[in-house]
Amino acid sequence: MNWLLRLKHWLEFLGGATDAVPRSFNGPGGWVLLAVWWMALVGLITLFCRQASKFIYIDF
Amino acid sequence: MIFDTFSYFLLFLLPAALLFRGVAPSFRAPVISLFGAAFFIYFSLTTVGGVAGAFCLGLFLWEALVSRFYRPGSALCLLGIVQALVILFVFKYWNFTAGLVAGPGTSWRWTGAFLPLGISFFTFEFIHYARDRRENRTEAGGFWEYLAFILFFPTMVAGPIKRYQDFLPTLRSPTRDWANDFERGCTRILAGLAKKFVVADCMTSLTQHLNATDIARAERWILPFWLLAYAVKIYFDFSAYSDIAIGSARLFGMKVKENFDWPYARENITSFWRHWHMSLTRWLTDYVFIPLGGSRVATGRIYFNVLATFLVSGLWHGAGLNFVVWGLWHGAALCVHRWWTGLRGDCVPSTPVRWINWGLTMTVVTLGWAWFTMDLPTALLFYKRLFLG
Repeated sequence: MNWLLRLKHWLEFLGGATDAVPRSFNGPGGWVLLAVWWMALVGLITLFCRQASKFIYIDF
Repeated sequence: MIFDTFSYFLLFLLPAALLFRGVAPSFRAPVISLFGAAFFIYFSLTTVGGVAGAFCLGLFLWEALVSRFYRPGSALCLLGIVQALVILFVFKYWNFTAGLVAGPGTSWRWTGAFLPLGISFFTFEFIHYARDRRENRTEAGGFWEYLAFILFFPTMVAGPIKRYQDFLPTLRSPTRDWANDFERGCTRILAGLAKKFVVADCMTSLTQHLNATDIARAERWILPFWLLAYAVKIYFDFSAYSDIAIGSARLFGMKVKENFDWPYARENITSFWRHWHMSLTRWLTDYVFIPLGGSRVATGRIYFNVLATFLVSGLWHGAGLNFVVWGLWHGAALCVHRWWTGLRGDCVPSTPVRWINWGLTMTVVTLGWAWFTMDLPTALLFYKRLFLG
């Protein structure tokens, strides 16, 4: 189950939910990866934002 | 919308966070309060409530003034709780109650009814402060500090529901690691926006069929997929909202407690509720379940307390009978789990049993969403079609 915990840690890191940097992320390559991740997120957001709907938990 | 608009980021979040970081410590609370007031007025006018909604800013100012007189043991704290409940009742439950008591066509209905922005959330923070001041569990803080607490705009509209004891230290001493806060905060916001646009909103093409006409016409096998799509949508929608709220607070150097922790990976309903909308579960535990006696009473009374707490949870989620059923559905599931845990004892389940537990939990939670997303007759039709064809 170690790989599952590592995956969870990576997902939480990429989602900004934890400050703990995954071991394999350290070094300059990690920051390049983060920059690529940000660009991918911005690209996805731009691509999909036209279908935006109201957040469910607003005005209830 | 709010969190997915440019105005939120350009008019409110970035200027407020930069100013908050730049001003002297004594001006931090006024900065948050003034931006929070502007945010409330702007999004009331453009999103929810309109002009009348914008005037509800007066509720915050009144609350901030009255709360200065709250003292440990004081009856005024109780009046503060009643006042918050009355505000919530008038705006959210008046028409629902009038309809139940006097019938749907009653003249008691408030025809111009509207919901002030974030009312379900800010009234819970009012109640928390009044109760905790009465019990002497929190310091009073200053006028501007309390105003900043209730007007902190990243969490004002849909939580996470904050506690004053958690907020005050982080307001007074925000973290100074600006670069890390900026990187983590922006990553969180971007991830939240992606979850909302890419996953939650894509589910709409399936969840839009959860209405009486489509349910009556649909092939039976498709119905569970529509409900599963709603389960995915509501998780990604609400957790995305919380991500953006928590990421936004991070830009101020303030840490807000988490609202979700992999709830759909949990193996029982009790654990699910400890990891789904955690700030609400904690609030309901502290301000409803424990005052009712909690779990230090006779077994039958514990079950009553659980059901009553989840009845409140259901009603809080919406003024409708379907929300009452949704709350009781989860309350009943928690009672069954409590009974089963008592019967089974502390044995550690094997891996296959854990998978079965997870499947059962997901089934209960997913079936429960039918009550949440459809009105009562439609949900009943859904169940009829799903189980009886």
